Amino acid sequence: MDTRVVITGIGLVTSIGIGREMFWENVLSGKSGISEVESFDTSAYSVHKGGEVKGFSHGPFVKNIDSGHIGRASQFAIAAARLALEDAGVAPDDINREATGVSMGTTSGEPNQIELFDDCCVADETNQVSPYFISSYPCHYIAGHVAAELSLMGSNMMIPTACAAGSFAISHACDILRNGRAQMMLAGGADSFSRITYSGFARLLAIAPDKCQPFDKNRKGMMPGEGSSMVVLEPLDLALERGATIYAEVAGYGLSCDAFHMTGGHPKGDGAVRAMEQALAESGTSPDDIDYISAHGTGTKSNDFHETVSVKRVFNKAAYDTPISSIKSMLGHTMGAASAIEAAVCSLAVYYGQIPPTINYEEPDPDCDLDYVPNESRQQKVRLAMSNAYAFGGTNASLILKAYEG
Amino acid sequence: MDTTEIRTQIKEVIANATSIDVADIADNSSFEDDLGLDSLTLLEIAVDVDHIFKLNIPDEELSERLQHLRTVQDSVDLVVNHRSHKNVGV
Amino acid sequence: MNRRVVVTGAGIISPLGDSPQAVFSSICEGRSALGDVTLFSTDLMDGAQAGEIKDFLPQPYLGKKNFRPLDRTGRLTAAAVQMTLDNSGWTVEMREENLVGLILGTMFGGLHTIAEFDRLGLTAGPKFVKPLDFANTVINAASGQTAIWHTLRGVNSTISTGGSASLQALAYGMDLIRSGRSDVLVSGGTDELCFESMYGFYRAGMLAGSISGQSACSTPFDIQRNGFATSEGAAFTLLEDHQFAVDRGVSTQAEILGYGSGYDYSQGKDENIAVKARAQAIQVALNDARLTADQIDIVSASANGSKLNDRYEAMALLRCIDLENVPVMAVKSSLGDSLGASGAMQVVLLIEAMKQSLSPGIQTMSKADPDFSMLENNIQNRPVEIRYALANAVSADGNCCAVVLKNISDE
Repeated sequence: MDTRVVITGIGLVTSIGIGREMFWENVLSGKSGISEVESFDTSAYSVHKGGEVKGFSHGPFVKNIDSGHIGRASQFAIAAARLALEDAGVAPDDINREATGVSMGTTSGEPNQIELFDDCCVADETNQVSPYFISSYPCHYIAGHVAAELSLMGSNMMIPTACAAGSFAISHACDILRNGRAQMMLAGGADSFSRITYSGFARLLAIAPDKCQPFDKNRKGMMPGEGSSMVVLEPLDLALERGATIYAEVAGYGLSCDAFHMTGGHPKGDGAVRAMEQALAESGTSPDDIDYISAHGTGTKSNDFHETVSVKRVFNKAAYDTPISSIKSMLGHTMGAASAIEAAVCSLAVYYGQIPPTINYEEPDPDCDLDYVPNESRQQKVRLAMSNAYAFGGTNASLILKAYEG
Repeated sequence: MDTTEIRTQIKEVIANATSIDVADIADNSSFEDDLGLDSLTLLEIAVDVDHIFKLNIPDEELSERLQHLRTVQDSVDLVVNHRSHKNVGV
Repeated sequence: MNRRVVVTGAGIISPLGDSPQAVFSSICEGRSALGDVTLFSTDLMDGAQAGEIKDFLPQPYLGKKNFRPLDRTGRLTAAAVQMTLDNSGWTVEMREENLVGLILGTMFGGLHTIAEFDRLGLTAGPKFVKPLDFANTVINAASGQTAIWHTLRGVNSTISTGGSASLQALAYGMDLIRSGRSDVLVSGGTDELCFESMYGFYRAGMLAGSISGQSACSTPFDIQRNGFATSEGAAFTLLEDHQFAVDRGVSTQAEILGYGSGYDYSQGKDENIAVKARAQAIQVALNDARLTADQIDIVSASANGSKLNDRYEAMALLRCIDLENVPVMAVKSSLGDSLGASGAMQVVLLIEAMKQSLSPGIQTMSKADPDFSMLENNIQNRPVEIRYALANAVSADGNCCAVVLKNISDE
């Protein structure tokens, strides 16, 4: 019998709250984290808003390593990791160092660091490039710094599969635990706001001018964001042994590739369908059993339409009875953190029996005709929740979380 | 710059974005059907054309314009019309 | 499920050649990948040398196609994967019918593209950045592009753990097949030579000879070593479920028996922790492979000329391997350090070593540190019958991965 893996702690750094409690309260009340971009000058752009995490201070979180030369995504990740451990009731000093590892996802790593490098080049001051560039920029330092901060010698992985990275990281961590390679894993994702990411999406005409409206008839695009989410994963028997709170059990996952287009999905959603079907098969569930879907729901015309098509292909009639909401309506698209935040949302939906809304939903789109939980959260028993994520490069992930019932 | 020069430059932009020889780009070549270009490549061609000819198409209009850019001739017309529009008095 | 995982094909593109045999021969003949750089100026780096694949073009490998969507990292990846698929007999038709995965290890992805994209935004304004380049600014771009290019619709993942990336990718791929989640996948790594990464290493004083007054020595384990030399390339192996390979009648070269991985949380600052993390990864790999250390016939080391990291690796190996008698090969002595691609290069070359019953040793070494002077036994090529091999890859900050391979060419 395969080792069962459960989530016992959740830590988050988001534009609508730092820490599980504040985040969950705000996500249920439909709070928006979108504001005017402040981290760089957007006057030369035609769009000016995003989901920045404002007022974040790494001070309370980065204690053991030198915070002077670590990037913003690393700071977020360390904060989320510490919050997750605290939430799990695990004191950092009590961790079994050799048997605890880190598995993380990201889209861009630490883009602010290459931006500083480029600033020097463009100003003809290349010889001013920092000697710390090469130890702060590469994306694997995010997972590395979490391990350094918390003295963790176990498996350390960075999986930069863009917008699906969080799900890849969490599912990999589950496999590590199932194979007995660790007794505890910290898993999730992190990304920081950057002019590189913002410029790219703006150039693709993909950014909404005012708000993110997933599945709405008049949706105008996505909203770049930033943040981090980390969960504590443990084998069930160890979690029970220490009397941990169990938010949810990881029931199964599916990974696939469209091999079709770098930035757009497969027209019939073939890859998305395969990922959902694999997750359902592994978890021994059928679409009828799923009580809630956390959508990829970026708010672009194309994604929301194709996602709806894919869900209908897998769920058939049950699609119309399954609430499906997008928290990107509130946070914007937090890139590599997104599916990690969405895994946290699914865990909390399962644990508390509450479903977050899709906010900014004003006019139904006849081509997107499912129940997107418009504007108001709901009390509803959620035994099984599915999280879907679709990334640049055509890579797809579906993760299923279920209520722990013994 | 006359229309012939505009056409030549545009074909060079297309060649750079696609590795297709300029000689194989006919005046009435369709981007999608004849040249097999995807949406990203088409967007890049539009951005490069805007840059080179200083069209200054606002982003709000670019999406709309892209829908009507189906052939090489369409992009030549876009540049020619934009320039003559700029030459017209207030 | 605990299925056997075998290698049925391999491909490599490096400054020393574009086939496993060619690269292996070059190394055994004492050739070095290092030379003057033509891709960019090294004036700011005191003219440091690097391993560059001169005049690399994708057309000879992939045909006459539109390569604009692929940057250098993408082109190297697609080209090396093409050869890997060809060598293992995985035709386009077979890939359309089966889900073949791709697990790519890379430290930087298309770093040069990311930087150029950003710099154009600064100089021309954000309105004129290039959409096709934006698609390549995500670190998993090469993996996505190559999947499109070669119809690879299985699990598509990118692993970025610094210098250990492509060995971690192999381990990740191995787990997917072993557990039954995948039947077949391509696993390996790519990193390109670019100004941004090389200059970054130079500014940090990590490149051989970057401390003024010293002449560059990037020979692994050598007592004169003072840093590494950057290089580039791509290397891949085709991994399949053993039964799947047997059923389709293809010859199998090697079996991946097990792996171990971990992290030096001191990030190189504490020798005890650094050595312990490396030793633990090696021991877990042996346990996973159900072997004892005395069964290992050859070690492929990660060492790249770094003063501390080479020492930490040697001390970790000393804890379990009889380095007096077991040959050690360190290919970075000839190839330079191709970062995320290096682990996969080590594996491809280990398989060649198995075929030829020969260790290429540690070329250019003259004298090693007294604590591991027995490594001087590897100055020359050494004949060795290889049944079991250990490949070790460690990133600069201490991300460790060790993999055990078995020679099954006689099965």
